[in-house]
Amino acid sequence: MQITHSHILLDACCVINFCASGQFLAILKSLPAEIVVTTVVQERELKTLQRLQEEENDALLVEFDEAIQQGLLKVVDFESEDEEESFVNYAVDLDDGESATCAIAVHRKWAIATDDDKAIKFLQKKFLHVQILSTPEIIKHWSEKQSIDSLVLSNVLNAIRIKGHYVPPKNDPLRNWWQKSSE
Amino acid sequence: MTTNILENIDLRTLGELLQQARKKCSMTQADAAKIIDAARTTVIAIEKGERRIRPNELIKLARAYGRSVSDFVRPRPVVQPFEVQFRAVYQRSQEQQAEIEPFISKLEELCQNYLELEKIMEAPLPQNYPLEYQVTNMPIKSTAESIAVAERQRLGLGDAPISELRDILEQDVGLRIFYLQMPQKYSEVYGYNEEVGGCMAINSNHPEERRRWSMAHGYLHFLAHRQKPEFHFDCQYQRFPESEQLAETFSKYFLMPTSGLLKRFNDIHRTNSKFTPTNLFTLAHYYGVSVEALSYRLEEMELLPSGTWDKLRDRGLKVRKVQEELGLEQIPQRIDIMPLHYQHLAIEALDQGLITEGRFAEFLHVDRLESRRIAEALREYSSGMREEDTDFDLRQIQTAGK
Repeated sequence: MQITHSHILLDACCVINFCASGQFLAILKSLPAEIVVTTVVQERELKTLQRLQEEENDALLVEFDEAIQQGLLKVVDFESEDEEESFVNYAVDLDDGESATCAIAVHRKWAIATDDDKAIKFLQKKFLHVQILSTPEIIKHWSEKQSIDSLVLSNVLNAIRIKGHYVPPKNDPLRNWWQKSSE
Repeated sequence: MTTNILENIDLRTLGELLQQARKKCSMTQADAAKIIDAARTTVIAIEKGERRIRPNELIKLARAYGRSVSDFVRPRPVVQPFEVQFRAVYQRSQEQQAEIEPFISKLEELCQNYLELEKIMEAPLPQNYPLEYQVTNMPIKSTAESIAVAERQRLGLGDAPISELRDILEQDVGLRIFYLQMPQKYSEVYGYNEEVGGCMAINSNHPEERRRWSMAHGYLHFLAHRQKPEFHFDCQYQRFPESEQLAETFSKYFLMPTSGLLKRFNDIHRTNSKFTPTNLFTLAHYYGVSVEALSYRLEEMELLPSGTWDKLRDRGLKVRKVQEELGLEQIPQRIDIMPLHYQHLAIEALDQGLITEGRFAEFLHVDRLESRRIAEALREYSSGMREEDTDFDLRQIQTAGK
């Protein structure tokens, strides 16, 4: 996985998946870029993480907060009228979280980590220069870079499947890798 | 360069939406003005559609109103506010207005979402509406029974018990039925307008027997008083108006038709030479009605002596306990907030990449995690097929195979 941008903006799908993995901090540390999330996503998804934490009795929210405190995850808001205008324009097609992520990424030339089919189609159609990363790509990158034991990796993928209710879609090039590594 | 949506959007519509959102969270125009650091007259002009709103003003107002920016800018079907229709209901019981309004507003929002999903998927809800039944100055009992028989015939139900009433009304008639959590005293809300058609909110806190009764009650309002919205709750009337008497009587005949009930009662009686409380409970379960409703119906049909239910009740009969002892399983029910067709439209839109996961969660009124769980369940329900597997025309297989 080559990252051609200085920053990676995580959308809500990826935040939930990484939190569900139980390895949020480790995954962020493995990425060779600044990791960022928008205020809109943070505000909207805190409740989801809180519920996930209550259900699973895991320190998911704590990890999320810790990532911010340690400076591994930065929270950003709109910095210019152009970003705000783009956000409002994208909200015609996307939900607010995806719109904010796309608007900031497009204007600051950052990469986006998203698994959202609609957001991916939107970006591919309008902003070919924006690099799009996915949960499987980032998890694979982390596992290879940190030489993660296959049992640990399998547990992480299964945690994302069970707690985060996520598996890569059929057309994802890493689906086979994901399935084999989950066994 | 992307076009600025705020330069092309219909300003009056946007202004109205902003005004509705502000009122829903009980904010004044002065409050809104403070949020965007402007004069009150600016807010007035924005809400009237006379002044173009700036992106950062819209973002600030949406945040203050607890709404998404996309709620204001994405193309959504225009629905006449339910508030207008329900004004008469409010007037009848003004003290209830504050309590009732949130449910009516929620029903309106759900109906609007439903229309939006239909538009996204280009799949309008098929409607199989009969002409409105004329009931003015007609005798209540015979009119109710006649409509019940006609509707059963129209829907191909014969005189058998209706096992899944919600599905029939949703799918065979085309009504929009939502289950909402409401205080115990509320049973059902019925509304109708040209864009939405007939819609109902049923109190999901009630047992299924009561929900079915409420649905039948609301259905009569759709059949006979279509344009007249209704909010049904306990102790609403000192004296029941005819429309309410008709709805209650219709429910009885629609859920427990005379011919079928008579036949089943006779079969039981002939086989056992008696009709026991166990038979009463089993038969009520079979018809998906309360034991009380069935008892009164059998008394009215002179199949049980008058006062049977009162005597059973006076003896301290515990209905739920007896049902458990008899091993009567729950009657078939689907307690999801959303109609089945609504849920399927939403999952199809998500799997075809027509809506984001966030929007899918908003449509289902749940957080993302719960929406993913529901998506899994819905995909499993669709014969275990997923995504692109489900989006093709089965008729094409035959053509290609030839």
